[in-house]
Amino acid sequence: MSASLDALLCVQTTVLWLALLAPSLLGLWAWRFPPQRMLPVLLAGLPLPLATLWLLHRVSVGGEFEGAWSPGGLLLHWRLDGLAGLLLLLTQLLLLASATYAVGHRRATTLAECAFAGFWPLLGGLAAALGLIWVAADLLILYAALELMGLCAVGMMLLPGKGEALVAGMRYLLYALVGSLAWLLGVALLLGSSGRLDLAGLAATTEPGPVTGIAMALLATGLLLKAAIFPLHGWLAPVHASAWPSVSALHGALVVKASFFILMQLWQRLMPEAVAAAWLLGLLGSLAVLWGGLQAWRASDLKQMVAWSTVGQLGYLMLAFPLLAGTSVAVATLAWQATWLQLAGHALAKAAMFMAAGNLVLSAGESRLTGLAGASRRLPLPLMTFGIAAVTLMGLPPSAGFTAKWLLLQAAILAGQWLWVAVLMAGTLLAAAYVFRVLRCAFVETAPCHEVRPLPAGMDLMALLLALGALGLGLGAEWPLALLREGGRP
Amino acid sequence: MSLSGELFPASLLVILAVACLLDRHLVRACLAFIAFALLMALAWWRLDAPWLALVEAVLGALLTGMALFHGLGRLGGQSSLPSRDRERRPRRQVMARWPAALVWLALAGAAVWGVTGNGELAASAEVSRRPLLAAGLAIMALGLWAFAHHLHLLRRLLAFNVLGSGVFLLLAGLAGPVVEVQGLILVGLVVALVGSVLGAALLRRLYALDGRVTLGDGPKSIR
Repeated sequence: MSASLDALLCVQTTVLWLALLAPSLLGLWAWRFPPQRMLPVLLAGLPLPLATLWLLHRVSVGGEFEGAWSPGGLLLHWRLDGLAGLLLLLTQLLLLASATYAVGHRRATTLAECAFAGFWPLLGGLAAALGLIWVAADLLILYAALELMGLCAVGMMLLPGKGEALVAGMRYLLYALVGSLAWLLGVALLLGSSGRLDLAGLAATTEPGPVTGIAMALLATGLLLKAAIFPLHGWLAPVHASAWPSVSALHGALVVKASFFILMQLWQRLMPEAVAAAWLLGLLGSLAVLWGGLQAWRASDLKQMVAWSTVGQLGYLMLAFPLLAGTSVAVATLAWQATWLQLAGHALAKAAMFMAAGNLVLSAGESRLTGLAGASRRLPLPLMTFGIAAVTLMGLPPSAGFTAKWLLLQAAILAGQWLWVAVLMAGTLLAAAYVFRVLRCAFVETAPCHEVRPLPAGMDLMALLLALGALGLGLGAEWPLALLREGGRP
Repeated sequence: MSLSGELFPASLLVILAVACLLDRHLVRACLAFIAFALLMALAWWRLDAPWLALVEAVLGALLTGMALFHGLGRLGGQSSLPSRDRERRPRRQVMARWPAALVWLALAGAAVWGVTGNGELAASAEVSRRPLLAAGLAIMALGLWAFAHHLHLLRRLLAFNVLGSGVFLLLAGLAGPVVEVQGLILVGLVVALVGSVLGAALLRRLYALDGRVTLGDGPKSIR
């Protein structure tokens, strides 16, 4: 009996590591032979989400599983629980959509041959880094994966190779490098005070005190810089201005969220009871919601609007900190589920929105909002995709955004923290304001009819599938929420 | 290893960091950085981490140095950048850069004090690491100030590298040369090298495109 269980565990571990490492091998393969059609890319990537689904099934039956890996005297820990599995599944689906979209983008426009080839190994590296971040239970793996992710993201942003892209990319590179040094200093303090690097050991041996506080402040600064949370968000919007839609989609959907995920993991283990610091993070998140929404409303460029809306939507995630610190079990459970549902819903919707915006801009040849006049007649499908994605961002039923905000609202009311209720309301109104501004421009009927460039059907289809996925996640939220209830919270 | 024996290399590290960060002559600054990295390698050697010393010498001194000289255009026959940094930050901004470095230094210093102070009787190995800790703190503060103050992108890359070395020194000084520390520093060195190579390549592209050597958040660059 136990022999067969051991064998099953061994198979699970092998499948997990194959699923984590296969994308980088595929990326190297595609570097050598850049794909020309969408279908082969889709078929090559499809086994990965299926493998992760099987792993998730095993986790829901047998509980989380973990292990360690020891190269040269080091002990590196990893574990797969419900939350990590769900995020891995989300990552693989989004990477697949982005890769397919990139092939279509290549067919629709003339991209430089070497830039397009360079996209693939960077995508593979990003996939490996994100996968490692979700399963890591060790500060050393987290550090390596965080840096790999940051450097791959900078490289992808630089692919267009134009002047403004280079300046924005350079600024992003400098911020990311300094952010990683702040993180490393925090790790140094933790290692110096407790002598451990694994998260479980740190949680057991670290007691709250000034050293832990300062270490956590440094770690949080580095991560907030990388996650573009409110006062440290300056690099985000310029970087997206000239990036490819497939890259923007991945960046807005996953890269900034990974830093938030790490911060949440560390916070829950090292200082779960620090109410004042948690409120500070919540207030920063509230300011992000308001400021991001306002800037998105003022933006005159479609991609800038979507980028600023990312700043605003990330703010909702930060509200989890005050709702989890020192509150009752019921509130904490609601806030925990709401946060990850918001993260997943926003990831799907934001990727769909970047792709739909990219389709609109590519077809119309115009990135200003006023240039979209008459898009309702000329480009109905991308505009509809944009609208469906916006439903999730605004939090209208039945989307994932609605369910997440509903849970968050319940948690805030139950905890008596009325400030967040006001922030949620204001954020929703702002989101509606900036989305309807785009739609108003698009529905101008008197616009002269320009030529539109036809795009491969797959590009519209990918964006639409992601937008519908965000909508469907609100209807079928029971399964992921059940998995989250099982575990993931230390 | 005695305390006084450690004082000399530690103070030499700080002096080289100052030379690297304050010199407006870019070639001299890069040479100072290479010397600084070689001295770092020596420090790892003395801490009984020969592999780390080797990696530091190859990645930190040799390859990063080559990347920096490539950024300057002194490797190969391309057009080279002006060898002096003539960018000046407006006086109003200059004053605002100091508090950031001081707050950082105060935070890190307090935390280091907390970590080393609350241990039981310090072993002799730990006492001999004290100069390294102090040098790490000083180098970190210098690097952060320089990163925030300088406008020239090559000098910011230098400042980032020095700042990183300061963090590594602090890491080794706090926890000793255990295998976890060596792993962290190894990853950090690789990241710093990739960042420097990417930054130097970007700097060359920007200079080739419109002759700028700054990010443009300060005064316009002078051709």
